Amino acid sequence: MTILVRSDLADSHRLAWEHIAAPGSWWTGVARVELATTALIAITDPDPLAPWIGVSRTDRLPFGRVVPAIAHDVAYRLARHAGTMTEAVYRAVVEEIDPLPYVELCAIVSSVAAVAHFCRNIGAEIPSLPRPLPDVATGERPDRLEQAALNWVPVAAPADEVAAVVQAYTGVPGEQRNTWRMADAQYMPDQEMVDPEWTRRPGGLTRAQMELVATRVAQLRECFY
Amino acid sequence: MLSWSSTSTGESIDLAAVADGRDGVGLAHANELLRFASAAAGSDDGELATARQRLVDVTDEEFMIDAAAVAANFEMMTRLADGTGARMPAEPLERSAEVIDVMRIATLTTRR
Repeated sequence: MTILVRSDLADSHRLAWEHIAAPGSWWTGVARVELATTALIAITDPDPLAPWIGVSRTDRLPFGRVVPAIAHDVAYRLARHAGTMTEAVYRAVVEEIDPLPYVELCAIVSSVAAVAHFCRNIGAEIPSLPRPLPDVATGERPDRLEQAALNWVPVAAPADEVAAVVQAYTGVPGEQRNTWRMADAQYMPDQEMVDPEWTRRPGGLTRAQMELVATRVAQLRECFY
Repeated sequence: MLSWSSTSTGESIDLAAVADGRDGVGLAHANELLRFASAAAGSDDGELATARQRLVDVTDEEFMIDAAAVAANFEMMTRLADGTGARMPAEPLERSAEVIDVMRIATLTTRR
């Protein structure tokens, strides 16, 4: 059966895959694809590891690794057991990798989760990850960072003037752009968020129907936010 | 957001039905959407295929794809929120006390 996905949505997912394979601010393309592969393994794992077991200590990562073990461990945990993430886990990870590479890792995992789950939701195969692009990490970062009160992670200054989920990835601008491009296509353009009657087209999902789906998924993922 | 959007448009919804994943939410196609969202967040591919087809049967494929995309968006946003320790400011949290109670989410690990 052929399923026709609207072009803005298909484009946002194609661009997300390309984005994963390109060098980020802190991880090379090779490292990013490695982390994305770990996230995919976690999401599709028929017998998932318990949250407290580090995937790097198992035989479930069938590839050579350029990324530190703890990054794979937290990528797997966030991909499969996001509702178990605690500040203690975050603090332990950023003793070994800096906070901004950690933010970039979260964004890789969350992008993979969106594409992988969308494919499963519509009954389609998850596309293979692209080959990583060569080159070094770009080091792109905001002019000024601040420690947020509404997040564990540092964000672009000024902190805490927008919602925690909106500022979460601002410390890594490329991830912020990619994530909100995906959200525009998957959910709604951010300028429409204040409109309770917004719909993508006549006869399409109403705003309340969208929020019903969102609420149920977030509830089952044990996400308080 | 569900409570806000439905109240703003004059729709009356039963949040407890959402929390329980049962019929009677009170929106058009809510039963099919709720089953689809529940199956999307679950691990049973057969259940998801059934829920997907049922949603297409009562709406159309375009509608199902949009619902699938919203579900995928919240797979993304839950990782974003829980990976970065996102928390709500105190004031909106206080206003949401009733919703938190009905949805039975007060004791989640991710409440920060």
